Formats: sequence, C-alpha cells, structure tokens
Amino acid sequence: MRSPWRSLHDRWRDCWRKRVQDWVLRRQGSDPPQLTLASGRIYILPTVPGLLYAAMLATMLAGAMNYNNNLGFALTFLLAGAGVASIYHTHRILVGLRIHYRGAEPVFAGDPLQVRFSLVNDSAEAREEIYLDWTGSAAVPGGLPARQSRSLCLPLATSRRGSLPLPRLRLSTRAPLGLMRAWAWVHLDARPLVYPRPGSRVPAGQATDASLRDRGDEEFAGLRAYQPGDSPRRVAWRHYARSDELLVQDYRGGSTEDCRWLDWERVAGDADTRASRLARLVIDACEADAAWGLRLPGTRLGPARGRDHLHRCLAALATVESPGDPQR
Amino acid sequence: MAWAAAALIFGGAPHLFAVVSWVPLLVLGVAGWRIAAAAWGWRLPSLWLRVPITVIAFLAVVMTYHSISGVEAGSALLLVMGGMKLLETRTERDRILVVFISLFLLFAVFLREQAIWSVAWLAGGCLGIAAALVQTVRQGPLLPLPGAALVAGRLLLQGLPLAAVLFVLFPRIPGPFWAMPDPQATGRTGLAEEIQPGDISALGLSDEVAFRVRFEGAVPATGALYWRGPVLERFDGRGWSALPGPRRVQGVAPPAAVGGPEYGYQLVLEPQGKRWLLALETPLQWSAPRAVLSPAMQLLSAEPFGERLSYHGRSVTSGSVATPATPQLLAANLRLPPGRNPRTLALAQQLRSVASDDRDYLRRALDRFRDGEYYYSLTPPRLGLQAVDDFLFESRSGFCEHYASALAVLARAAGIPARVVAGYQGGERNPFGDYWIVRQANAHAWVEAWIDGAWQRIDPTAAVAPERIENGIQDTMVRSGVASGRLWRSNRLVNRMVLSWDAANAAWDRWVLAFGPETQDDLLLALGFEVPRTMQLAVLAGLGSSACLLLLGFALRRRGRRPRDRMARLYERFCRRLAACLRPPAPGETAQHYAAAVAAARPDLAAEVQAMTELYLRLRYGGGIDPEGEREFSRRLRGFRPGRA
Repeated sequence: MRSPWRSLHDRWRDCWRKRVQDWVLRRQGSDPPQLTLASGRIYILPTVPGLLYAAMLATMLAGAMNYNNNLGFALTFLLAGAGVASIYHTHRILVGLRIHYRGAEPVFAGDPLQVRFSLVNDSAEAREEIYLDWTGSAAVPGGLPARQSRSLCLPLATSRRGSLPLPRLRLSTRAPLGLMRAWAWVHLDARPLVYPRPGSRVPAGQATDASLRDRGDEEFAGLRAYQPGDSPRRVAWRHYARSDELLVQDYRGGSTEDCRWLDWERVAGDADTRASRLARLVIDACEADAAWGLRLPGTRLGPARGRDHLHRCLAALATVESPGDPQR
Repeated sequence: MAWAAAALIFGGAPHLFAVVSWVPLLVLGVAGWRIAAAAWGWRLPSLWLRVPITVIAFLAVVMTYHSISGVEAGSALLLVMGGMKLLETRTERDRILVVFISLFLLFAVFLREQAIWSVAWLAGGCLGIAAALVQTVRQGPLLPLPGAALVAGRLLLQGLPLAAVLFVLFPRIPGPFWAMPDPQATGRTGLAEEIQPGDISALGLSDEVAFRVRFEGAVPATGALYWRGPVLERFDGRGWSALPGPRRVQGVAPPAAVGGPEYGYQLVLEPQGKRWLLALETPLQWSAPRAVLSPAMQLLSAEPFGERLSYHGRSVTSGSVATPATPQLLAANLRLPPGRNPRTLALAQQLRSVASDDRDYLRRALDRFRDGEYYYSLTPPRLGLQAVDDFLFESRSGFCEHYASALAVLARAAGIPARVVAGYQGGERNPFGDYWIVRQANAHAWVEAWIDGAWQRIDPTAAVAPERIENGIQDTMVRSGVASGRLWRSNRLVNRMVLSWDAANAAWDRWVLAFGPETQDDLLLALGFEVPRTMQLAVLAGLGSSACLLLLGFALRRRGRRPRDRMARLYERFCRRLAACLRPPAPGETAQHYAAAVAAARPDLAAEVQAMTELYLRLRYGGGIDPEGEREFSRRLRGFRPGRA
C-alpha cells in the first residue's frame, strides 16, 4: 500500500527526470558512434558522503574557530583542499574519454542484447573506476590505465522483437574520494535488432500449417517407378488406372526433400505471434539443413538454406508488420 | 573493511591513552572481534547485543565525564561510536562513516596536543585516512597499498596551496563563541593570584616555558627585565592575594610618557588559563585583543584564555610610575591583619623612629636584609602562622616571595602604602632565534611602594642576592648547587642543542600556534592594507582560493591532455592530417596496419606514409633518443599535406 505522499513524491521525481532528460537531449543532441566526451557534457554533483564531508568540515571549522586552534584550522583546510582537488580528478576521469559504439549481435527477444563498446584513453593519466550503465541497469566497469583502450559488453535487457533504439548510455565515476559523482550521458543513434523469440515446437500434425509445397517453381521431369516412401500425393493415379503400373511424378530441382515455403498469411495470430512461430519454423528448417523460403507482406526471401539465410529471415521477421496493423 | 579499521586507528590511536581506560579496551575488543570475523568467519554480535552495549557505553561516557561536549568526553564518545560502527559495517556507507569518524578523532587530537611533532601526525593521519577513503569508495578491486597512498598523497599535495591560502587569510575572530571546558588550564604550573610563602620557590625548578619575547629594537638590561603579572594588594598575615574586584574591570588609560627609553616587543604567551597577561614593567601600548589595563597597571583580558596568545607591547622600565591613586586604593595598600606578626611591627616602629623619611626607612629595611645574615634559598624552611615573624627572626632564609612579603609588611607597618607584584624576572636569550625565553623558574615577586606620589619598584631580592637579578636564575641555581640535576645544561654543546630545539619550538609557536588576529593584522599591514580587516581578509581569502583553484584546474588539464612523449605527439599530428582526408586509426590499430590501410586507399601517398611510419617506429620504439631523427620527422610532417583524393 503506497502512501499518497509517496506516490506524489514519485510522480514529482519522474516529472523532473523527464524534464532533465529532455533538456540534456536538447542541449547535446544525439551522438555519432564515435565520440569524445567534451567537458561541456560532463555533469558533476556531490554524493551523499560528499555532503556529509562538507558538513563535517563545517563542524571542524566551527570547532577550530571556537578553540582558536590553528592545527585544527590546518587540518580542516587541508581536508577541504584535498576534497576540492578530488572534484577536478573526478571530472578529469571522464573528460576526453573516447567511446566507440561497436554494435550488438542480434538476440532473441527476452535475451539480453550484448552491446559492445570500446573505450580509449589518450591521456597520460589513468581513468580509474568508470562505470557504464543504461541509467539504472547493472553497471559494467570500464576503467582504463593511462593511454590504453579496452572493449566491453554492456548487456541490455530486451522484451520484444524489433529494432530497439538504444536507451541513454551513462558513464559515471566517483573516484578518487567518492565525494563527487561525475557522469556523462550518451544518446547513441543506433537501433540494434532483436529477433522474435521462437515459439514452442509445434506437434508434427500441425507442422505444415504454415508451409505449402510449391511445385510451381519446379520443373516436371517425367515419371519413374514407385519406391516405398514416395508420397502418395505424387503417385500418378491416372496412369495407374490405365496401366496398373505404379509410377510417381518426378520433379527436377527438388531433392529427396522438396522446398518448403513459409508464409506469413498462413500463420494465425497477431504480428508478434506470427513472427514468433515463423522464427521457430525457420530455425527448425535451418537445423534440419533443409531449404526454405519465407513469404512476408511485401517481401519474399529465398528459397535457400544455411545460417546466412536464417539470419536474413530472422532480421526480416524482427521488423515485419501485418499490412492491416498500425505501424509501431 | 580493513581500511576502515585502519582509518580508525590513525584517528583514534593518540586518544587511546588519554581517555578513561575502559574505552580503549572496548574499542580494541570490538576491533579484535571484527578482525576475527573477517579472518575466521566468527559471527558478528546480533542487534540484541550491539544496541545494549552501545547504550551502556554511551551512558558510561556521560557518567565518567559528566558531559558529552568536552574534548575528552567527545573523543571518548567518538571512539565508542567508531568502534561499535565497525561491528555493523556491511554497506559502503557504513565504512565511509567510520572513515569520517576517524577524521573527527584526528581533529580532536589537536585540541589536546599541539606540539611540533603533531604536524607529523597531522600529515600522516591525513594521508592514512585519505588512502582509506580512496579504498573504501572503490567499487572495483582495491589498489595496492602504495598506489592508494600515492592517490591520497597527490590529492593532499594538490590541496595544499588552497589550504595554505585559507590558513593564512581565513579571518581569525578572537575569543570563544561558546564556553569551553579547557583541559589545558587545569593542573598547570605557573603564577597564581595568590602567593603563599614557598609558592614561587616551588616553581624555581620548573623548566617549563612561560612565554617567549622578541624585542623590536633596543633590549633592556637583564636587571631591568621585570615582567609584570598579578598585583597582590591584600595580606592575610601569611600570604598575598589580589584585591577582590568587579569581574569586568574598568580599564584605565595607560600612563602618559614617563621619560626613559621605551621598548617594543612581541610576546607569545603559553596557555595558562588565567585572565592576566604579562607585560614588561609598565605597559604603554598593547595589542592583545579585549585586554584592558587595570588601575594596578596590570593587563587583564576579558576571559581566561586557554590557548597560546601572541601580542605586541610597548613599555617603559624606569622602576617608577606616577599614576593617579585613589585614597581608597592607598588605604587598602596600608591594611595589615590585626594581631599578626607582632615582632615585625615592633621592628617597623624601631626603624621608623630612626629613619628620616620614607626612602630612608626602606633603605634601612633593605640594609637589614643585606647585612643581617639572611640567605637566599630555593628550599626555604616551612613557615608558621606568623609567617613574616618566622622568616625575619627565625629562619632568615627565603626565596623572593619571602623577602617581598617581609618588605611590604614592614612598609605598611610604617605607613607607606605597599604591595607585592608577582611576575617574572630576567629570561634566557636564545641566540638561534634572537628572542628571550622566560621559564617558570624565572617567576619572581617584588614590592611596589607609594613614595612621593608614584609607585616605586623595590626588589629586596636584589639586596640579598644581586646575582639573581643580574645574571639570571639559571646561573644562580647552577652555582649554588641547588639544581644539581640541571648541571648537564652547563655543558655548552648540550645547551646549544636545547636552545636550538627551543628556537624551533618558538618559531612553531609564533608562526603556527599563535597565528591569530595579531599576526594577520601584521601581515595585512605589510601588504599595505589598513585595519578594519575582517572584510578585507575575507575578500583576499576568496581571491586567493579562486586563484588556487584556477591554477590547479589548469595544471591538471594540461597534464591530462598532453601525451608525454614527443614522438607520440608528432605521430598524433600525423594521424590527424591523414584522418582529415581518410580515416583516423582505429583504437588498438597498429601503426603498420594503419599505414598499410592508408597505402591501399591512397597509392599516391603510400611511399611517404610508409617512410614516415617506419621513421616513427624507429624513433619511438627503437631505443635511445635521436634528436636528429625527431627533427627529420617534424620537417617531413610540415611538408606532408595529403589533399583529398
């Protein structure tokens, strides 16, 4: 049970967050995949321990003034000096840092997207204790010794298929004393793909609901003797009626297993369900090393076989929409 | 975790011996428990144990010290809090809190102890605790010990200029804002507002420094160095004390110029927890804050002061000052308790009858001391109720307070207003710092008598033991063998070492501990400002610290931006030119790979780029320094203008 005060507080905070985000986006614009953090986009504020530290110094100052204690003054000012110097260091850790967005391998919806970055430190000073996160997600360390670079993967949770606009990336640090926290926001203009999550394997009887064997694409090559295992649909019944000879129709181009066409229109459900079921089918087809084709509203892929074709199909399935559905 | 405990040790160690003994036991026990928990997986005490222990410890501190605000009680409380916090440090915030408590404890060290070596503790403690903070707030793996110390040391060094500016310029406001129980004032040896026979001789062996003086210009002769302290005008038959007066003394104007040389000096007075300040005999000017001149020519501050005080003074030492004296004051200076010291009163009658005038009377009294088998002794026998009688007629052996008391009683008995002045006489010149050290052993008492409308200084000790006044107390003691334990100081080398150590301490006192409104005023005047000052100081402090901040920022930026290696810089410039028409090197791409990629994309540039890359690699990684090669590279770089393809 949330108190009204609590919910008011949350609403107020969310409203503020939104306003700050909009303001930051307005003033920074969106970022290219390679960028250097300029000092104008580093934000820095005291942390709670930092405020406590300031209050402690104020108390010490009052004590030193009251007791006219010069060593007390010396200690207070020395600590204040170190605190102030630490502000510069906290800021310096981020200024001039180069970030390269290196893309992300597509994943199935629900799996975390591994977004890859490289960080480059050109300066002669180490940049310790940098953390990267998507504002609130689990942070990944990205500290760098002097003049070094490193690459890292920042997981991003996904929930549904599509091309996912990257949320705002945050690089932050509190080093060296934890009194200040500096951070930079990066708005990358990238939309890595999230494949539809493959549906569960369908029972054998319904497996063909989406597929049809299309002979239109194959050339009739003549009749041959029936062998056990040939599909009864291919038996030339008319010829059998005439000659009592069991022959089957033979098509060229088709191997023992003929090409399956997976068709958007023949799958039931909304767009996401259809994409999910088709994803399952193309994966199964790929695993069975079969050739398949995919027919989607507006496009046809294949027929072909192999992993490249699979990824092309999954990518298409990630973004496809039913013609009737509103675009999202 | 270990770091937070280490921080607590840095801040708390000096207190462990100073607070009531169960507190260190508790803290050490708790720390031991904590270490055992970290090392061998002991269970930490549950909340049901921690809360009662904390509450009991808190109450025990309050009951021991009857307060929670004093330095002792405060540090005991902080120790307890820090120790108990150790037991429940789970989150980072807990650990940070322990570190902050340690800083407070470090601060409290200096309320207790301000000797010269405490700077070392200040620096070391700051470094240790800052390193602990660096480690505590790290989210990644901890730094190695030297690494953490390096980070902390750099921060402190970079903060040092700002700290120095603030230390010098931060306006010092005299006086405490709230009452402070001063632990330093209690049990301190020194002069008091009341002197019983034997009090000053008890100080005679104390090497403790009372104050240090630096003369500005001429220096009076040793025999004229009478440092005036409390003026004692009430005699109870045995001892002397100050007249009870209003708490807030109405100050009088200093006497008009009395002729004779004036001496300017700066005096750094050790904390004594008393209201009176010391000054050379008759003060004409003084710069001590909130101090007034009492009618008895005594400098009094508004409050007892528990810290070191530095002030300027200007005085004359003519030995006689004509000041207006009210009849009441003179009457008070004639009063003798009835029925006490009858033999002394009889002696006074006898002397009076033969003396021609007041001066002659006093001269005869002093002659009696000089010729009448009286001895000057640091270890006089104890005197009874009729103290002056006992001294004058029985023991005939005494220290300066015995002679001063006897002479003042004799004068009063003869109708001459007289009083005893306590203070210090002489001092030891320190050639290393060109200043005078006045120790408790220099404590002295003499007499002022009202003759011909002026208070005349009469020192009976000078009659009995003139070398005490002329050569100083130290010399007298060594010769008389009283201070045999002190003979080692007569060794020249040892004495030089003692004096140079004192010079260091004096400089420390003067420039660091006694740095206050006074010293700041001097500094401001030297910079060409005029008093009133607080605003100007604040403005100066603001300007100074902004300058420090700007410089620090500038220095750090330059350092971070510039690669140190010249070749690396030149190569960066080379890459920038290529980047303008092609692409920058990818992170982690080697120079050779980049050159090959450029050559493939721009065959027209291939030869030059390959040649320059080879040159660069040879110069940067070939080992050795080749200035000729560097010049060659930068010459080629100037000519290298890759246009767009």
